[in-house]
Amino acid sequence: MALEPKLSHTAALVLQAVDAGFIYGFSIMAMTGLPSGTVYPAMRRLEQAELIRSHWERQSIADTEQRPPRKYYKLTAAGRTTLETSRKRYPLLARLIPAEEARTR
Amino acid sequence: MTPLPEPVLASLCRFLQHCLLRVASLLVPAAQRPDWWREWCGELWHVRQACAPLGSDPLQAESHITSFCLGAFQDAACLRRHGWLNRPRFAPLHGSAPQCLLWLAGLLLLSFLFSILLPGVRAARSFPGAQARPGTILIRDAVANDDSAPTMAFDQVRTWKRDSQRFVDAFAFYRVAAESVVLSSRARGTWQIAQASSNLFAVAGWPLRNILPHHEARGDFPRLVLSERIWLQQFAANPGIVGTVMLVDSRPVRVVGIAPTDAFRLPGNSDAWLLEPDSEISPSGRGYVVAHLTQRGRSEMWGGLVNIASFDSQKLEHDFLGKSFAEQLPAPANIYWFGVFLAFLALPAVASVSLAEYSFSSHQPSWIRRAIRLGFLAAKIVLILLIAYFLSVDLAYWHSSVFSPSGTYVQFVSSFAVCLFAMRWALLDQRQRCPVCLRRVTHPAQVGLVSRTFLSWNGTELICAGGHTLLHIPGLPTSWFSTPRWLYLDTTWDFLFAGSVR
Repeated sequence: MALEPKLSHTAALVLQAVDAGFIYGFSIMAMTGLPSGTVYPAMRRLEQAELIRSHWERQSIADTEQRPPRKYYKLTAAGRTTLETSRKRYPLLARLIPAEEARTR
Repeated sequence: MTPLPEPVLASLCRFLQHCLLRVASLLVPAAQRPDWWREWCGELWHVRQACAPLGSDPLQAESHITSFCLGAFQDAACLRRHGWLNRPRFAPLHGSAPQCLLWLAGLLLLSFLFSILLPGVRAARSFPGAQARPGTILIRDAVANDDSAPTMAFDQVRTWKRDSQRFVDAFAFYRVAAESVVLSSRARGTWQIAQASSNLFAVAGWPLRNILPHHEARGDFPRLVLSERIWLQQFAANPGIVGTVMLVDSRPVRVVGIAPTDAFRLPGNSDAWLLEPDSEISPSGRGYVVAHLTQRGRSEMWGGLVNIASFDSQKLEHDFLGKSFAEQLPAPANIYWFGVFLAFLALPAVASVSLAEYSFSSHQPSWIRRAIRLGFLAAKIVLILLIAYFLSVDLAYWHSSVFSPSGTYVQFVSSFAVCLFAMRWALLDQRQRCPVCLRRVTHPAQVGLVSRTFLSWNGTELICAGGHTLLHIPGLPTSWFSTPRWLYLDTTWDFLFAGSVR
């Protein structure tokens, strides 16, 4: 049986937030209430572990909206599997950040 | 005090927040800095937009935004901590130029310590080289081919001493014979004792060591001078032996001093010299003559040799040959330099000495880089030369005396061999060092197939662990790819070397 990465509660919370549709750093901070000094490094670690993937917004879109481009995050297949395992470990995750939350915002 | 107008306050806060993010970005590792700076700036815009509804209280809004910016410091600290914990252990030193120099310096220190600790080596190292008094010669019969064979009769010396001499101002004679020696009631042996003129060491210009003061020497017994070898081996370099009386051929003699190291140059391999007036020296048998040339005599010398024609007591002419002590035997330093000279001559036979055979496929390194590279090679060579000196002296003299044939031979062979092969290593090592960071290129990989030599190159590819260069060594040199090539890596390779310092 392959070893599955065990996540801390914070990392699981960030992963759950990304899965719920909070796909950039500030929205995850706002949703989870975690400070910037926690969220961004956590996202980098998750990215290094290939549980999430990031991509920069196209410059043209940012230019149209007259703002700097931002970085978006997305769950990978491995991240989804790990999140499923984490949900079993932290059953309140899904209730803390339901998937509908982001869509309604 | 009048509060600041809102636009001024907002501008000040923006400037402060911008500065905070800039400072935080400086704390992030350089390779990741642009990415983090971009992300923080992007997020800051959104944070500011999100806080805009709090516009009723601008101070609270700016406080939220500033706390977001302060969080960037925690991001940077977290990155630094993570990078430190996951750093490759000793990676910056591995295969680097400082590591190489440290190894060489360690070897040098080790060989130097040995040369200090081993007594024989210490004596050899402190030997200052040719120290014979200028104009001191050893005279032998011109017919004899061997310097070490006794060829001179004492009568001849007496004749020379009796007549007025223009070319020589002092003569000394000695003859070596095996004699029994009683050191104490329990210790006895047979030594090579030289019965010598009392002025032997004065003529040679070598002052005795640990000499017994005149008032203690008392004229009661003949005076005996021990060789340094016997003093070290039989008496463990005990200076207390000077002044004691021992029996040589059943005759009591007093030890008055220790012969200097240079006394090795006197042929006959004497263990001790029994200094006696000429009247006490037996005229029978052959011995050796040491003489000192006058200024005029020295002007007759050519290549350390001087021819002497003389008449004996029966008015028969004899030819003699005088050989300068200064030319007799090379000192350890001279042997070493001769070995180094031969090693430099032989080096092209074992390695290519050219350092410019590499073609830099993309660009030439700057002159500073090239100067550093040459400086590194020079430092290696200097360290190697020092190691070779101390190592050769250690090997040669840890159990042999200075000027002993075996010691001289071992020192010559070892200094030559160490220099030759260490220089070969230095050149080969230099060719496998990245021109940018001087690390050794590693991870050899076989590229291409021999059967496709004419379609594409085949050979070995090595990579610099710092991510600067690739070294391509052709397996089968062709007209278009005959020498190894350096290929510079651009920034697109950075992700492979995340932990390295470029």
